[in-house]
Amino acid sequence: MSVNDTPPAAEPPRPRRRIRRRSKGMRRITGTMALLLGLTAMGFAFAAFTAQAKEATTATVASSDAAQIERGAQIYQTSCISCHGQNLQGVLDRGPSLVGVGQAAAYFQVATGRMPAAENQAQMPRKEPFFTPEEIDDIAAFIQANGGGPEIPTSGLRDDAQVAKGGELFRLNCASCHNFTGQGGALSQGKYAPNLDPATDTEIWGAMLSGPENMPKFGDGQLTPEEKAAITSFIQNNKATIDPGGLPLGGFGPAPEGLIAFLVGMGAIVAATLWMGARA
Amino acid sequence: MTTDQHAVPGDAELAKMSRQEKATAGLAADHVELDEYGPVAVPGSPADKRNERGVALWFVLAALLGLLFAVAFIWWPHEYVPAYQDGQLAYALYTPIIGLTMGGAILCFGIGVVQMARKIFAHEVAIQTRHVGMSAEFDRQSLAAQVMDTVDQASLKRRGMIKGSLALAGGALGLVAAIPILGALIKNPWEERADSPLWVTPWAPLADGTKIRLTQIDGTPVRPEDLAAGSMATVFPGVPGGSKASDAAVMLFRVRSDSVIRIRDGQQGFQFGDYYAYSKICTHVGCPVSLYEQQTGRVLCPCHQSQFNLYEGMFPVFGPATRPLPQLPIELDNEGYFVAARDFIEAVGPGFWENGKFPAWYSEPKEATG
Repeated sequence: MSVNDTPPAAEPPRPRRRIRRRSKGMRRITGTMALLLGLTAMGFAFAAFTAQAKEATTATVASSDAAQIERGAQIYQTSCISCHGQNLQGVLDRGPSLVGVGQAAAYFQVATGRMPAAENQAQMPRKEPFFTPEEIDDIAAFIQANGGGPEIPTSGLRDDAQVAKGGELFRLNCASCHNFTGQGGALSQGKYAPNLDPATDTEIWGAMLSGPENMPKFGDGQLTPEEKAAITSFIQNNKATIDPGGLPLGGFGPAPEGLIAFLVGMGAIVAATLWMGARA
Repeated sequence: MTTDQHAVPGDAELAKMSRQEKATAGLAADHVELDEYGPVAVPGSPADKRNERGVALWFVLAALLGLLFAVAFIWWPHEYVPAYQDGQLAYALYTPIIGLTMGGAILCFGIGVVQMARKIFAHEVAIQTRHVGMSAEFDRQSLAAQVMDTVDQASLKRRGMIKGSLALAGGALGLVAAIPILGALIKNPWEERADSPLWVTPWAPLADGTKIRLTQIDGTPVRPEDLAAGSMATVFPGVPGGSKASDAAVMLFRVRSDSVIRIRDGQQGFQFGDYYAYSKICTHVGCPVSLYEQQTGRVLCPCHQSQFNLYEGMFPVFGPATRPLPQLPIELDNEGYFVAARDFIEAVGPGFWENGKFPAWYSEPKEATG
């Protein structure tokens, strides 16, 4: 506060009633327009954040030799042993046994960054992988060498000619948890079916073959390799397809669509009502 | 206002009046006075020109968007382009583009009309003098007489055919409204007594005793080795149309051999080893439950978040469902494929009035008096 504050300017003459009413109406309109604009901007920002589809390229090698298994054992000794035990037998309340889970499980867990886990929680979240692709293959070879189990094949992961069949199988076997567009969904007590957007072909196969965490296992007897390839093609084809109908609203289905319809629709009705009221 | 006496100009007077004078006289005849009336801005002033340009801009925009719509509708690539092919983006933009241009054209035209009414048309404040209270006795009685006289003149009283057919049409329209609700009561659900579709599913063995195989959706019969431990498969009865039957979908689980599953009374031996089969139809309102958490043994219903616990004999542990999912008794046939030993021993799906009042299967239901 400076001492030479100018005295407040003289009160402007009281505006005439008509003008005052109009400006009040205008304020209402601008207020509701701002609300609408804000909601629309929020929608666009949401779409921008959800629209990114990352296409990672990872390859896996199922073939293994003694040296690779030895390297995998080294990594196991330093990074996995505290929770999964000295002989892969698991540790109570820390980690399950890894005997017989196979290369598919080891590859899926480590390549998606779920393992090594930071802490025990309802479900291990996907994160940046801690190990290099070579190290992941080493670990997977070591796990495979101790008890065997399902392996992800190196070829035939996709069958793009069978997208429609894959879609049918996806809707029957996968969509109940992972949503019709693969966006995932909530399960009980903090668990969830993850979004399939970042999943590579190999990771999808790994998940189907090993049944990670609460996902049921889909063995080759239940879904043949051809059917798995069709499902994988459907998932990837879905991600590469641009929605022709404008904003997909995250692909979550009726809940956000209803929410947006309610907010935008009701907002428009309220705005129109306020506007008409201001004009009356 | 029939009783009002108001000066109405004669023919000679009318001929001399200008258009504006006639408009004012017409308003005056209705007791309307124009308190303020005149152009929004001084004609030819900068404000007036600005108003004119503002309105014209919206109309030009509307025209432009309308033309763009026509161009896009005809020439934009609208034929389906699948993923991984060039031109997919252009195809995907077809719908938004014709929508935005058409909607934009209509919106701009509408804004233009409103702006024209506000900025170009004369600004007026009109005041109409209203009478106080109800209308004069003469007005009210004469109006009522007019209405009733119309009925009298049509001599509806003596036209019995019109009255009769009108009543008939009204009654039929009432029936049209009521029949979608009452029509469901026509069919007796207990007509087939113990074989009523409410009790029986396609899993019931055929008349010759053939037991129904558990098949995948494509008709492949299921063997025990098809399922890995910790897996769940949706299976259907191996009869024609089995995968489409609304009450037949079944979840076949293979649990780990160290899992302990609670068996409900009277359902001992319904499982085969580590294999358990339960109806997939939620006992709340019949959604397909198949969000299976293979570690916790919970099966979630996506509609209203009911949860059933496989380890507890599929009893509901959360949500609005009140009854456990019915268990299908399974065994192997001579060729080693799963078959249903017999039908469910309770009704599948949502509850209904007589549900649970049918304890002895294949005997007469207590309430089914047909």
